[in-house]
Amino acid sequence: MSIETIIGAWVATGLTLFIFSFLYKDNPLFKLAENLYVGVSVGYTIVKTYDTVIVHLIWKPIVENKEWTLLIPVAIGLLMLTRYVPKAAWLSRYAFAFIVGVGSGLAIPRTISSFILKQIEDTVRPLMVLVPGEGVAFTWNLLNPASSVNTVIILIGVSSVLFYFFFSVEHTGPGKAVARTGILFLMIAFGAAFGYTVMARMSLLIGRLTDLIEFSDGSYGRPTVWLLLLTIGTLIYLSRRHQNEPPKEE
Amino acid sequence: MSFAERMLKIDRRIIFLVIGLCTLLPLLYPVGLPIKISPEVRAVYEYIESLPEGSVFLMSLDFDPASKPELYPQSVALLRHAFRKNLRVIGMTLWVSGTGLADQIMTQVAKETGKESGKDYVFLGWSPGGTAVIINMGQDLYSAFPADYNGKPTKGLPVLQGITNLRDVNYAISLGAGNPGVEAWYVFGKDKYKFELAGGCTGVMAPGLYPLLRSGQINGLIGGLRGAAEYESLIGQKGKAVAGMDAQSATHLAIIVLVVICNVFYLSLRKTARQQGQARA
Repeated sequence: MSIETIIGAWVATGLTLFIFSFLYKDNPLFKLAENLYVGVSVGYTIVKTYDTVIVHLIWKPIVENKEWTLLIPVAIGLLMLTRYVPKAAWLSRYAFAFIVGVGSGLAIPRTISSFILKQIEDTVRPLMVLVPGEGVAFTWNLLNPASSVNTVIILIGVSSVLFYFFFSVEHTGPGKAVARTGILFLMIAFGAAFGYTVMARMSLLIGRLTDLIEFSDGSYGRPTVWLLLLTIGTLIYLSRRHQNEPPKEE
Repeated sequence: MSFAERMLKIDRRIIFLVIGLCTLLPLLYPVGLPIKISPEVRAVYEYIESLPEGSVFLMSLDFDPASKPELYPQSVALLRHAFRKNLRVIGMTLWVSGTGLADQIMTQVAKETGKESGKDYVFLGWSPGGTAVIINMGQDLYSAFPADYNGKPTKGLPVLQGITNLRDVNYAISLGAGNPGVEAWYVFGKDKYKFELAGGCTGVMAPGLYPLLRSGQINGLIGGLRGAAEYESLIGQKGKAVAGMDAQSATHLAIIVLVVICNVFYLSLRKTARQQGQARA
């Protein structure tokens, strides 16, 4: 096994255990790992962005391939930096105007088409569907998302939730029943989202524990065992030191 | 203090320990619970199965190491399947912080299956612009990515022969952990350039993507570690996701039990308080 892999295993194990130590209580090991994470991710992003954008997409094409037209987006981009010079800060508005204009122009029609029109189309599907061998029929299969009964459920769900958020009419009488139905649908949606969130968080824990088990192997030098002992030892030391400290005067 | 009150005020670290043990023990001693394949995962598998050899498969690994436990097994399983089917694979990422991980995944699976960079697959890396990159690729793939991740010019690469833009892609999948991800690929990619699209995502994102699945905007969805385990089962190469499923089931069971117990204690406390109130009156 290469030395880089072994060093990587030790670093990964140590940082995982340091982060997990927060579950006991906040401590300097956790702070170390947290700050390293922020620093490394920002550093990585800066280096990758510099290499890809400045070197490969700007410098090389202009200097080596003489693609002078690239100077136009570079100039627009540089206008952003005038924000740091108060007297010339107004120039940055041109860059922002360009970005907002192009961004809105691209995003608004596409978003309306994809998330509003297409979803409305799917919400108001025909109640009767063509079933092979049976002709046009109302299908009752709850497990089939395209069945007629599910179309009715979705229609009721969308309408009642929209009504619940319609505050111009007081939710009394029949309106109260519709709003309560809307709440019911919302609760089911929140429950499903929470269930998936729990699953996702547990998956992250499984991922870290899988790595810790793998790195407890002798071929890596058993970093899990040694660093777990180090983490526990440090937590005990910090806890004892905290107990021995005289109480702070108010 | 009653038993119910004491239990409701239990040190949260004990709960952490219980959840930790419920995760760790099944990982150490797996029991191999059965994995049921969902239609949305099977749809992705069957679409790739139906593609003829040499078809163009674009995989956008739109995640960073923070989502590795869920999306790494998905990407490995999909790549193994695509390489086994001898598809031409184009890999890329819209997340700058995920570039190194995406390259590592592509290289590792290609090496394992004996595929050659530039001939059987290409990893384009990252390009700035987020969703604008998708639009740029839809117009001209080579202007969005003039060179691949290793610096080789993309024009002339055997794997990209006959491909000019996204319209030449037979099947695309975005493995997304946020934005830009699956939704961006639909809005700025499939909706405009008309290629078939599927999604892979973290568990947190899955409920938000089901409406796209039902409306046919994506033809399949692989959600979280469970989705990855289903895909691993479908291709017959069980990996990290399948290994984690026992632990997932055990922790879910533990959480359900904890939620039920907490509610029982809460209701019993409320009942006691009500009885005490009536006795005083």
